Order: sequence, then C-alpha cells, then structure tokens
Amino acid sequence: MGEPPKEKPVTEPNRRSFHKFGSILLGSIIGAVLTIPGIGFILSPILRKTDAEDGESTGDGFQALAKLSDLQEGIPKVFPVLGKVKDAWVQYPEEPVGSVWLVRKGEAVDAFSAECPHLGCAVSLGPDGNSFFCPCHTSAFTLEGKPNNPVPPRAMDSLEVVLKQTPASDETEIRVKFQRFRTAIPEKSPLA
Amino acid sequence: MLKQLSDWLDNRTGYKHLISETLDEPVKGGARWKYVFGSAVTTAFMMQLITGIFLMTAYSPSSSTAWGSVYFISYEMVGGWFVRGMHHFGAQAMVILLFLHLLQVLIAGAYHAPREVNWWLGMVLLFITLGFSLTGYLLPWDQKGYWATKVATNIMGLTPLFGAQVQKVVVGGSEYGNQTLTRFFGLHVGVLPGLLIMTLAAHIMVFRRHGVTAPKSSTGSEPFWPKQVFMDTVASVAVVGVVAFFAIAERGAPLDAPAEPSSSDYPARPEWYFLSLFQLLKQPAFAGENEIIGAIIVPGAIVAALFAFPLLEKFIPRKLAHLLACGLVFGLTGAAGLLTMQAMTADSGDADFKISRDKADVARRRALFLAGNPKAGVPPEGSRYLLLNDPLHTGQQILEQKCLSCHYFDGKGVMERGKDGKKVMTRQVASDLSGFGSRGWVRGLLDNPSDTKYFGTTPQCGGMKRWKKTSKLKPDELDKVADFVASFAKVGNEETIDDWMTKEDVTKHPGLELFKKDCGRCHTVDAGGALGEGGEEEAPNLFGWGSPRWIQRMIRHPEAADRYGFLEQKGQMPGFDETELAVREMTVLMKLLKGDYIPNPPEPAKAGSH
Repeated sequence: MGEPPKEKPVTEPNRRSFHKFGSILLGSIIGAVLTIPGIGFILSPILRKTDAEDGESTGDGFQALAKLSDLQEGIPKVFPVLGKVKDAWVQYPEEPVGSVWLVRKGEAVDAFSAECPHLGCAVSLGPDGNSFFCPCHTSAFTLEGKPNNPVPPRAMDSLEVVLKQTPASDETEIRVKFQRFRTAIPEKSPLA
Repeated sequence: MLKQLSDWLDNRTGYKHLISETLDEPVKGGARWKYVFGSAVTTAFMMQLITGIFLMTAYSPSSSTAWGSVYFISYEMVGGWFVRGMHHFGAQAMVILLFLHLLQVLIAGAYHAPREVNWWLGMVLLFITLGFSLTGYLLPWDQKGYWATKVATNIMGLTPLFGAQVQKVVVGGSEYGNQTLTRFFGLHVGVLPGLLIMTLAAHIMVFRRHGVTAPKSSTGSEPFWPKQVFMDTVASVAVVGVVAFFAIAERGAPLDAPAEPSSSDYPARPEWYFLSLFQLLKQPAFAGENEIIGAIIVPGAIVAALFAFPLLEKFIPRKLAHLLACGLVFGLTGAAGLLTMQAMTADSGDADFKISRDKADVARRRALFLAGNPKAGVPPEGSRYLLLNDPLHTGQQILEQKCLSCHYFDGKGVMERGKDGKKVMTRQVASDLSGFGSRGWVRGLLDNPSDTKYFGTTPQCGGMKRWKKTSKLKPDELDKVADFVASFAKVGNEETIDDWMTKEDVTKHPGLELFKKDCGRCHTVDAGGALGEGGEEEAPNLFGWGSPRWIQRMIRHPEAADRYGFLEQKGQMPGFDETELAVREMTVLMKLLKGDYIPNPPEPAKAGSH
C-alpha cells in the first residue's frame, strides 16, 4: 500500500514472501527460545548428574544390618536399611529407605533386596514361611532367591554381604551393601 | 496425499475457513508499526503461559516447601534459572507493554464510540495482569514476596464495609501461611489465566468487529497476513529478546531469604511499578485516618476515571473529552514517575534502609549457600528452618538481641540508638564471648584478667585480678593450666563428675597439680574438693566449664551458688528461662559459641558488617 503503482507487479510477490518467511522464521525463533530451555527443565532428571555422586554414602557403602546371632538357620528375617535421603530440595536426616531379607546358611548369609525385580513391590514371606512371595503380581521365589514361577523376569536381587567380627564382643556383624536395580528386565542392572 | 488429508480434515472441521478468517482480516489503511502493541502484549502473555506451565511442574505451594522448590528451580534444575528469569522479567514486560498499548489506544482515540466496550475489556485485562503480578510475587515465599503481600492484603483490608472479610478470604485466615499460598497459587495458575484468556478472546473479537483506528488520511486496506503479522512478529521478537537479555544479564530471577514472619527490620518494598502507590501512602496527607484516601479512594478514582473516558463525549465535545483524557493520563504518568523517583531517592539516601537491606542480603546469601550445601540442605520442617537452625545466622541474632547489651563479641557490642537519636555502640560490662571456653580464651585470661576481653569491665569480678597479682606461675605452667581448663569444655551432657574425674585425661593431665594448687584455692570442681577446695575467695564451680552444660546453666541460673550467686544482686547477670530463651534458641546459641556451624565461603564477605 502507498507504493507507486508501477512498482507493484515487481516487488509485491517478493515482499509478500519476505514477510511470510520472515514471520515464520521469527515465530520459530520465539518458540525455540521459550520451549528449548523448558524442555531441558523437564528433562532435568536425565540431564543432571545424580545425587548419589555428591551424596554421603559412608565409605564403602556397606552398613551393618544385624548380628549373625540374630538369625536362625534357614529362617529369613527382614531388616531396614538406613540412608540419608535428598528428595529434590529437602534433605532428610538418616531414616529407613529400604528393606533387606537376610537368610542364614551355616556361617554364611544371603542378602536379598526386598524390592521385587518384577515391578518393584515389596517382597514378603510366602504363606509356608519357606519361600518369598510378592503380593502384587504373585512373583514367587525360593529362599535362595530363584524364581518359583514365570512371573518375575529374574531372580531376587542379591546384595553383597561382608561378615565382620566386631572387636568389642565376639559377635559377627552382617554388613550389606544396599543397592537398587532396574525392574522388569532379565538383567540385574544397578540404578543411578 | 497431503492435499487429500487436509481436504478431508477441512471437510470435517472447516479449519481452512477459520484460518483464512484469521489471517485475511483486512487491516484498514494497511499494516502499520503502531498496531503492534496488542500483539506484543499477547506474545508477552503467551510467554508467561509457557514458562509458567514449566514452572508449575516444579513448584510446590506450601509455606514449608515453596522457597525450597523455587531454590531448586533456580539453582539445581537444568535451565531453571532461565525459565524462571523469563517468567519474572516477562511479567514486568507485560505490565510495560500493557501501559504502552493503553497509551497508543488513548492517543489514537481508539476508545471512542463504537469501541467503548473494548476499552473496558482492556481495562479489565490490565487489572487481571496486576492481579497476576500481585499473586505471583508471593509464590516464592521469600522475604520480599511475603512482606510485600502482607502490605498489599492489609491495604485490601482497608476497603470500607467488607474489606476485612475479603482480606480474610484471600489470605485464607488471619495468618499468612499454607492457605495463603494455595489460594494465591490457585488464583495465579487457574482463575486468573482463565479470566484473562476469556477476556482476551472477547477483546480480540470486539477489536475485529471494529477494526483498527486508522488515521483519517489513509485509504484502502490490506490483509493481516503477511505484512502486519510480520510486523507483529518482529515486535514480539524484540519483546522476547529484551526479556531474555534481562534474564541472562541478571542470571535469572532474584530469590530472597525464606519468609520469616518474626523479622523485625525487613525493608519491604513492592515491585517497581507499584512504587508510586507505595510512595503515595507515605505522603503526610494520607497519614492516620486519611490512609484510606491514599490507599483506596485515590487509586479507585483514577480507575473510575479511566473507565469513564469513552463516556465523556456524551457530555462534552469529543475533542475536549479526548484532550481531557490524554491530559489526565499524561498527568498521572508524570505524577507516578515523580512518586517512583521520590521512593527510590528516599531509599538510596536512607542509611537505615541500607543497613536493613544489607542485613537482608546477608541472610539471603546465607540461605542460598546453606540450601546448596550437601552438609545442610533444606530441612524437612521447612525452608524457614534453614536459617532458624543455623547457628551463624540465628545464633548471631540471639547473641545480639539478648547478650550483647552487656557482653561483647569479637570486640564489638551492638549499635543502639541513644536518647539523642544517634547510634552508639553498647557499653561493655561483661566479658567478650568470642572463643569463650576455648584454650585461647583461657590462656588470655590467665595472662591478663584485667583485659576488657575478660573481667576488665566487670566491677565485681575482681577475684582473677587479685590472683594474678600474687600468682607465681610461669608462662609454661600457665600453658599447662590453660590446656587443662580448656579440656573441661569437652565434658558431655550426660557425664557425671565421678566418671570424668577417673578418666586418664584428667588424672594424668600435666596441668592437674598446678590447677589444684593455684585455681583450687578459690574455685571448686567436685563436691569432695579433690580438684580444689576453694574458699579463699568466692568463685564459680568449674566442672565442665565452657561446655554447653556449663554455659546453659550459667544462662538459665546465673544466680546459682555454683555460678555467680555470690555477686551482689545488681552486678549479676540476669537469668533467661525457657520463655525468654527457647530450647531451640539455646541450641543454636551453644553451637555458635562452640563454632559448630558451616562457615560461609570466603569470597564476598564484605557486606557482612553491621
């Protein structure tokens, strides 16, 4: 508008397409500036380094859960695992963060995470007291942690155990390294 | 294929018609740069909507979690500082752009008939936007938002008839807390966006009905797409660019220390575009009973006048009405500018304001530092306890409020206003508490009890001075005594004197015999007198001296026989029971005196002096 009429046929189409593409380009830039940081924001849990790296897992990550004399041969017992939890911005003091099943076999001890390898429910003791059983989707395991039915994708997650003589008494301490693993896959793959 | 699909979709939805309706809207007189303001405001709003939704996924509205979640957004999440920065500066851009849009519409006379309704809708949009900024300001639950909101809602409470009730409903009670936050959050992310979108839709609809107010000289028309769209987009890029510039230059949005309702000297200020109203209230004309005039009636009258602009022409000639409207707005803008400048210069020239602001900044830096420190972090009780449980921050505060009117700390008392209005440092009449109970403190005392750090300013406590005059202990012997006495501070809360006295650390300590011989002449430790029989002069019992248990008893019961009960009443330290010094306060005070806290990082230590 307002142009001398003779120029119109020449410049109008160019100008129109300049305005069209300009609008689309600039509009996309605005969109990108607003959404890309936002997408990074939403993807924070993947992009940020995990809290475990700056967490304070004391030394080797093993913690004493019980004494050997607390366990009777072949009778599983569950013990809480303590940990300091950082829930986003909140720093909780040390409190129970998970449970571990301990089974004594002579002078050795098996430790299993109570988190079901199927979908993460809490595994409890079967009605016979001689097997493990998950109340959610009926995963069943032997006392050795082996699957008893086809529901679980793998055996119960065994945890590293160290038996340590305490210097003060002649008790043997059961020290376990607690870890979490990805659920629903055949491999035992540690989380974070 | 694509054509078929779009034809099918168009057949079912009619979207092509809708798009062409939107884009081919004729712009009377052709596209112009001066028509971009409406779109620029809309872009600013879209920006707020997008960044706001992102923020909503990470924000937690409760008085214990809000600050922590905003901290997490700003300092821990990827790009969080930028998203929040865009939202923060975008809000200000929106207010500015709305004002520019208003001016443009006013000057163009676009409020005259038949566009009255759209002027009113625009006014409504302006108030919704101010509602956004008012509610959003509180959400971080930091000092700044907390105090500014308290003032704003108290002004609301001044409204005649139902003000108090409205205030109570908005605040969610008479106390500011969880209910205030959930309500403000609900308003900010639910009610106001809904209202704004509906009003904006109506605004644009009505605008399309009447079109732009083209200059009289212009002829013909041109479709909205693409030229006007291009101009609008360029303006939008400028808006987003300027906002992004501020967000980056300022490294995001500011976050003050967590809201602390017990603050006694927080210098509350509203957002800059409310500063003129803030300053208006400070005018002597609106003091006391006239407060309501400055707080409600004047702003209310301005709003009423703005609403009445389109109706003026019914009573006076259109030209005169226009002149009057423009004159009023320009006059008000000038006045507001003047008041804003007045408010700013008043603050920058006010030493007390600067002191309070510096203090608030020290608290802010401390809170941010602790929140990000793996040894601290926001405690589960709530963000407020980040500072409340911090010995350095709260312990220091308690020390200043309750101890430093007599004691000194690190050679300093507190500044107090004298009768003549001038600020002077309190006079020292008791020992300097920095390092109390440490070896250095004891060794210094043994060297020179008359030093102001010890009993130099305490008239009745002459015992140590008299001992010094007669004592023949050599420096290396004094070292041993100091070592021994400093070890008392390690006595645990549960430890009994019998357990302690049989420890090898005590029985075989090189300073033990010297202590018995010299100190034991006046001081006692155990009831049996094994470490000293005392009696030559009256002196406090030294079991656990310098340990939290000793200090706590000294604070709670300075008049006890095993402390300084032997002094004359007027020379005694006043006792502090649990109503005067709560258990939690005692705990942080002890930790401060024992140096049991996370020290500040060394870098910007300058602003820490008061």
